[in-house]
Order: sequence, then C-alpha cells, then structure tokens
Amino acid sequence: MMGETEAVEIDDILDDWFIESLKSYKDLHVYQLEHPTQIIEWTSGKTVCVAGYSSGKNEILELRLPLRLLADEKKGLCAERDFKVVHGGFSEGPVCCLRHIPGTRCAVTNDGLTSDLQLWDLGADDTDVIRKTGSLPGTSVSQAGSRITARLSSPPQVLHGAQSSGVQLTQLSTGQTLYRLEVDSTKPLSSLKFASPPPGECALWWTDASAASQCRVIMLSSSGQAVVSDLRNLGGALCQAQLDVQTSPRKPEDVTVAWAPALDGCFSVSGLSGLVQIYDTARWRAELQDASPLFQHAGHSVSSQHGDGSAPIFITTHVWHPERPRTLLSAASDGSVHVWDWVDPQTN
Amino acid sequence: MPEIKVTPLGAGQDVGRSCILVSIGGKNIMLDCGMHMGYNDDRRFPDFSYITQNGRLTDFLDCVIISHFHLDHCGALPYMSEMVGYDGPIYMTHPTKAICPILLEDFRKITVDKKGETNFFTSQMIKDCMKKVIPLNLHQTVQVDDELEIKAYYAGHVLGAAMVHIKVGSESVVYTGDYNMTPDRHLGAAWIDKCRPDILISESTYATTIRDSKRCRERDFLKKVHESIERGGKVLIPVFALGRAQELCILLETFWERMNLKAPIYFSTGLTEKANHYYKLFITWTNQKIRKTFVQRNMFEFKHIKAFDRSYADNPGPMVVFATPGMLHAGQSLQIFKKWAGNDKNMVIMPGYCVQGTIGHKILNGQRKLEMEGRSTLDVKLQVEYMSFSAHADAKGIMQLIRMAEPRNMLLVHGEAAKMEFLKGKIEQEFSIDCYMPANGETVALTTNPSVPVDISLNLLKREMTLGGPLPDPKKPRTMHGTLIMKENSLKLVSSEQALKELGLNEHQLRFTCRVQLQDPHSDSDTLHRIYTHLKSVLKDYTIQHLPDGTVMVESIVIKVSSSAEDANAKVLLLSWSYQDEDLGSYLSSLLKKGLPT
Repeated sequence: MMGETEAVEIDDILDDWFIESLKSYKDLHVYQLEHPTQIIEWTSGKTVCVAGYSSGKNEILELRLPLRLLADEKKGLCAERDFKVVHGGFSEGPVCCLRHIPGTRCAVTNDGLTSDLQLWDLGADDTDVIRKTGSLPGTSVSQAGSRITARLSSPPQVLHGAQSSGVQLTQLSTGQTLYRLEVDSTKPLSSLKFASPPPGECALWWTDASAASQCRVIMLSSSGQAVVSDLRNLGGALCQAQLDVQTSPRKPEDVTVAWAPALDGCFSVSGLSGLVQIYDTARWRAELQDASPLFQHAGHSVSSQHGDGSAPIFITTHVWHPERPRTLLSAASDGSVHVWDWVDPQTN
Repeated sequence: MPEIKVTPLGAGQDVGRSCILVSIGGKNIMLDCGMHMGYNDDRRFPDFSYITQNGRLTDFLDCVIISHFHLDHCGALPYMSEMVGYDGPIYMTHPTKAICPILLEDFRKITVDKKGETNFFTSQMIKDCMKKVIPLNLHQTVQVDDELEIKAYYAGHVLGAAMVHIKVGSESVVYTGDYNMTPDRHLGAAWIDKCRPDILISESTYATTIRDSKRCRERDFLKKVHESIERGGKVLIPVFALGRAQELCILLETFWERMNLKAPIYFSTGLTEKANHYYKLFITWTNQKIRKTFVQRNMFEFKHIKAFDRSYADNPGPMVVFATPGMLHAGQSLQIFKKWAGNDKNMVIMPGYCVQGTIGHKILNGQRKLEMEGRSTLDVKLQVEYMSFSAHADAKGIMQLIRMAEPRNMLLVHGEAAKMEFLKGKIEQEFSIDCYMPANGETVALTTNPSVPVDISLNLLKREMTLGGPLPDPKKPRTMHGTLIMKENSLKLVSSEQALKELGLNEHQLRFTCRVQLQDPHSDSDTLHRIYTHLKSVLKDYTIQHLPDGTVMVESIVIKVSSSAEDANAKVLLLSWSYQDEDLGSYLSSLLKKGLPT
C-alpha cells in the first residue's frame, strides 16, 4: 500500500496562473510551513525568522533562503531550492511581533496579548537552538500586544509599545527605560517606526517611513486610500491615489505596507485584497485618482491548501529583500511562505 | 537488559555513504552499502574493519539489506561481497535488483575506463554479487532464519525504494533509507503501519530543510525549456531511463499542447529500449491509480514526442531531446552534447547527480573547456542547468513518519549532533521519545524493554490466592513459587507438582541433618526446653513448637537433644531440615552453635 497520491493529472497544474508565472516571475519558490506565521523578519541578507501564533507552544525558526535564489551568475549550476532551518526554538505563547536587533544575534518578541517583551539569542554557528534569554516588562495595561522596532545602535536599544502612551525606548542589556513618549492617547498602534505616527482620524491608518533617505512617508487607510507625504510636513500630500482593493481588514495587524528598499517610488501592500500588490507612485498626482497595481502576487490564493473555500486564506505579512530590487517574501494564514522575484511588466 | 546496537559505518561527519550496522537479538544486519562519491581512495568505501579486522564478513553478518539503487546506498556492495568477502543473503526489492547491476556497471566503467583506477570491482564481481540477492515483495514477511524476519514497505523516492522492518523476537527496528512523504507524479508517498518499532532509523540530511514545492520545480523546468526554444535554441535532457524521464515527457507534452508549441521533442532510441524493459517492472510496483493515469500512457504514443534519429541533431531550429545516458559519460547523449555545446542559444538540463569523471560532473562544476579524446578541446558555450527533481522528506516529513510508525526511540544518522539539537528537542517534545544522533563510527546501544508474555496455570493462581496476603501490585511485587516451562514458543508458569507431572519426573525429597555440640549440664529435656524458650524469643515471626515426642520444631525443622557419649556435660543437638528450609536450617545451626543464654 502506498500513501495518498494526489491527482496525477498534470493538466491540473498547468492552470492560467501557472502559465502566466513563467513570464511574470524570474524566480518563484513555494513552501509549506507546519504552522502559519505572522512575521517574516530579516536577520541577515540571507536569513529570515518566522514564528507560529497559535495559543499554545510555538516554534521560532530562522530560515536560510534557497541557494539557487541567491546564486546570481552561477544560478544554473545550483540545484538547491529549499529553505534550510539554521536555527530553531520554542516559545511558550504566540509570537505576534518579532524584531531582530541589528548588529547582534538578539531578537525581541511580543505575544500580542500583553505589552511584555521576550528576549532571545538566535544562536551562533556552533548550535542550532534559539534560546530565551530574558524578558522586559511593558507599561501598558491594555490587552493588546506591543509593536517593536529597533535600529543599529550601541548599546542595543528597542522601541516598543502597545499604545501611544506606552511607547518607551529600552536599553536591552540593562532593561533600563531611556525615554518614554509623553502622549495622551490610548489609540492602538498598528506599526511603529522611528518616525512620529500620523494624525489619526476615524479610519485606521498604516504607515511606512523607511524611505527616510527621501524623507517620504506613505500612509494607507483601511478603505485603500494611499497618501505620500514629506516627513517634515505630514499634513500635506505630495501625491495620493485610491488603490484597487476589495476587502476590509479584520484586524490592524493584517495589513502590511512597505516601501521597496531598492526600487524608487515603489511600495507594496498586503491584507486589503488577498494578494500582495505593488504600486509605482512615479505617475501619481496630488489629486486623488485611481491607481492600478504594477504587479500582483496571487500565488497564495491560487495554490491554497484550503481548496474547499471554507475559510478564505489571507496574507499575514510580507517583506522586501533589503538589497535585491524585486525579491519579496510573503506568508499566508494556511502556513504557506512564498519567495518571489517578479518581472517588471513595463520592461517587456 | 536486552540491547539493540546501531553503528553508522565510516569516519567523520561525511554524508554521502550509507552503511549502517544493527545488532538486534543476537543478529547482525547491514543496512545499505553505499559508496562515497566524493573520494577517490579507500575512504569512499565504508569501514568494514568495525565488523572484523581480517577476513570475510560471512560469519559476522546474518544478512545485508539494500534500500534502493542509488549509488550512495549500493555502490560499495560488489566491493563488500566480492573483494572483502560475504556469501550470505542480500535482500532488496525486485526493481532494485533489476536496476542496481546496470548502475553499478556504468559506475564501474566510468571509474575504471575513464579515470583509470585499478582497485575497483569488476563486471564479473557485479554478476557474482547479484547472484546472492534474494528479492523482496512489499509487505511480505521474509524469514531470514528461524529468529530473524524482515518486511519491506513502500518508500516513494525512486522506483523500488523500500523502508525495511526488522524483527527478532519482540524487538524491532525500522530503517527508512531515502523516502518522501508527499506524493510524486509517478511515485506515491511512503507508508508504514503503526508497527511501534523499538527504533526508527532515518537520515538527518533533509531533516533541517523545508522543501520547495514540486510545482515550482516544474515551473522552472518549463520556463527554461520555453526560453531556449523561443530563442531558437536546442535543449538536451540526459536521463537514465524510466520514472523521472517519463514524468518530464508527460509534463512537456501537456505544456506543448497548452501553449500550442511547434518545436519537435524527441526521445532517443537507447531510451526506448531500456524503457520497455522497466515498463513491466514498473507496472507491478505502482498502485491502481498511478497505473491508470500514468503508466498506461504508453510513452511511444505521445502526440508531440517522437523517436529520435541521430541525423536530427544537425537539423536547424529549436528542439528538445531526451537521451541516455544520464551523466553524459558515453553514448548518444554525449554525441548530441558535443554537437550542441558550442552554441550559447542551446541548453543542457541535468536532472540528477553525476558521478565524478563524467562530463556531466565537470560541467556541473562550472567547467567551460573540456578535454575530449584525441586531445581536442570542447568549448562549452551552451547554458548548463542543474535541476533536482528527486523526492525527499523534509523536517515536516520526518514528523509525519514518526507519527505513522510510533517508534519508541528515534535515531538520526549522518548529521552533526550540535547542528540538530533543535530537531532532537522537537521530536522529544512532541512524541516524548528519545532521539539519538550517533556520529559515523560511533555506536548507540539502546536498552529495550521487551514484554515477555507468560501464561500462568489456573491452579497455581488459585493456590496463590488462598495463601492470602496482599494482592499483587506492580509497585510491590510478591514472591511466588512455581516452575517456568519453555516449550516451543510459549512460556508458562505452573506449580512444581504439575511441572513434575508434565515432565514425567519423580519428586525427590532432600533432607539435611546437622549435629551441633553444646556444653550444657542440664538434663536432655531441660536443655530442649531451654532451646525452645531461646528460639521463641529470637525467632518471633516463626512457628515454634515444643512437641510431646521430645522435639522442637521450627517451621518444618526438627531439633532433637541427646547426651554426648564422651562428655557428660555436653549435649548433641540433631537438626534436620528439608531442602526448602535450607536458609532457616543453616541459620538455626549457626545460632545454636553460639550456645544458649544462661
């Protein structure tokens, strides 16, 4: 007797999306984790961390990207397409937010239920175990989790908070609070970067201010309106557009918006349409207009494991590669993780 | 305590040569006998000196089992059986038995003819080795001898690959070889029942990976082929014979149909001959569903794939050709390669591993200038693509297999223990079983806890119950008296009388007597009474009686007193006891030798 055999009909796999993908992606890798992840966090140019968010025990994994993807000139000679689990560890609770502290092998996590943080050692070459090294208490009394961010600094520091009033800058080694944000607000934070959060209105907003070299911030509302502003003048709009979105997010954490680190004026958004969409703001104007995505990654819904449509899968997070211009990683609620390098349709 | 010992042979942390020794219930079994493809000297063979320092292995091994035909699992087999020496049985599945000798012969040819090596096995040795092979069917229990039995399970991975269950008495081991848990197109997924072996032995090589999907591998293949065809190039795909080649053919055929492509696809003649031969093997090895949807698509009835003629290689324009042999070391695939290598629009797709010494191996290592016969050089300008289609389990797959088989212990070979602590922890946590990771050459000895069933006779049970006292409890075992009879394969516990009756023996009584001399001026009866009082105070838990016939009895031990003939003040005590009361009897005699209290 043999194990389950899926339908051997090859015609099945040659669906439209598959055929199109031959031209629309340079590289495409599809993985199935045992449990879905809400986080993809770079720990080096070749490695990312993912972690489970179920209510009990969860795994934190540090994965090395497939060698074939990274081997540029010698790509043809490299057959290695798999993720390598280089380090792994266990968390007693869900991991809803994970940040790597640049310049260290340390990571900080939050379980989405309290504002406390857990500290981890991601491990060196001589071991493959990720170990918990300590915890930092948060100040918030809310039931919501904290957002965390960090930048290269010596000694390492982390900025975290669940609400605007609870944001604090903590020195990791001593646990000492260096600064506390004095803001009289209890609005939940959906993302935190080293820039001030935008003025809130009745709709939820997400921001990404990582295009700091350009001093540009992108702000996205839950109805799909995107506004690009100058950091120094957050009230004014440099350009804006109505994105092509269909669904409203269930939770703020479901939406990810990010500037492309190496593609001027391009940004990505997931969580508002079941796809990862990439927009080019180059032709946007100051007046609100409709914008179409430059590229859409539909891979997760097309190759979903939940084929019977019982619960529609949604994208939990996505990230850009810090240097490779068109390489992204995306994760969905069915445990899938895709690594894709898309082709700019404009260059055909 | 009974132990099972497992030793991966070889030195260092090298992967690439599978050869594992298992000692179970007094039997020694060799699992796989692979060649390490990276070495050119004796390091490529497993280190058999672990088994014996000199001479043949026949007396030390009960059997050898080969999981599948890949050279890193069977490449050293002819060396082991014919050059080191082994005449016992070698077990493998039917397809493995058919395909092994072909791969071994190819391998031998390449190593001896191309690389000019001398200390290597010959063609005759391969033939002699294969004569010792006993083929296995899936799920059929085979008695190697009256104590050792083995059974093969479907492993997926390649045609004929098996996982093997080994049992001696109530101890068992399962060895996985290479396997995969997600079905392939022409192979199913591995399957095993909840056999609960004492140890499950598996490779750790892929335990720390997460596999890219099959769809994406196929996508990359079609993309590369399509791109070459679109720019007018020719694509050469060197393949072995059945299985993977047919899968790729069906994939291309379906793609061609979908995209309405016109470029010709060919299948070289060497391939069709071999394919016919394995076709029949393949049919019996696959299940109904695969047979229906895959095997019945006769490979020579493709719409877009035609038989190749070597003159076609010179035809202008794009084309795709499947040709043997798979490593470009000879024959048609090499001829075609030579013609097409100089054009950068062309492409060669290598779908598998290539042995050192072959052209395939050289180009996969980036060599762009090749030395051919007659000192001519060949400039390699075409695009070289290495694609791995082989089906392997990954981290998730290992967990699935453990869930299926429910072993009591897990053992992973060919990995660095320090780099697998996380996986070990994961297995230990999820299944509450121990996970061992011996280095090559290191032995793991696992104590097993086999349950030995014993029947107890009803009479004996009733007798024990009437004796009263607390009921037997696993935490407080109770001593009982009986005889264990081992007859045929059963064990039973009966009363001594019943045992004697069954065996037709007479019960003999054994009585010991002992004389103790005591200085005691009293009369015989007074001395006896004093003995009685003394024993009563010392032996409070025992039944002591002073009988009217002038004896003292302690349980069943009889004590008599008489005066010494030589000494008026001395008494002679006569103690008599039966064999059953030996302990108490000896104790009493020592006690009384010390004399009576005054």
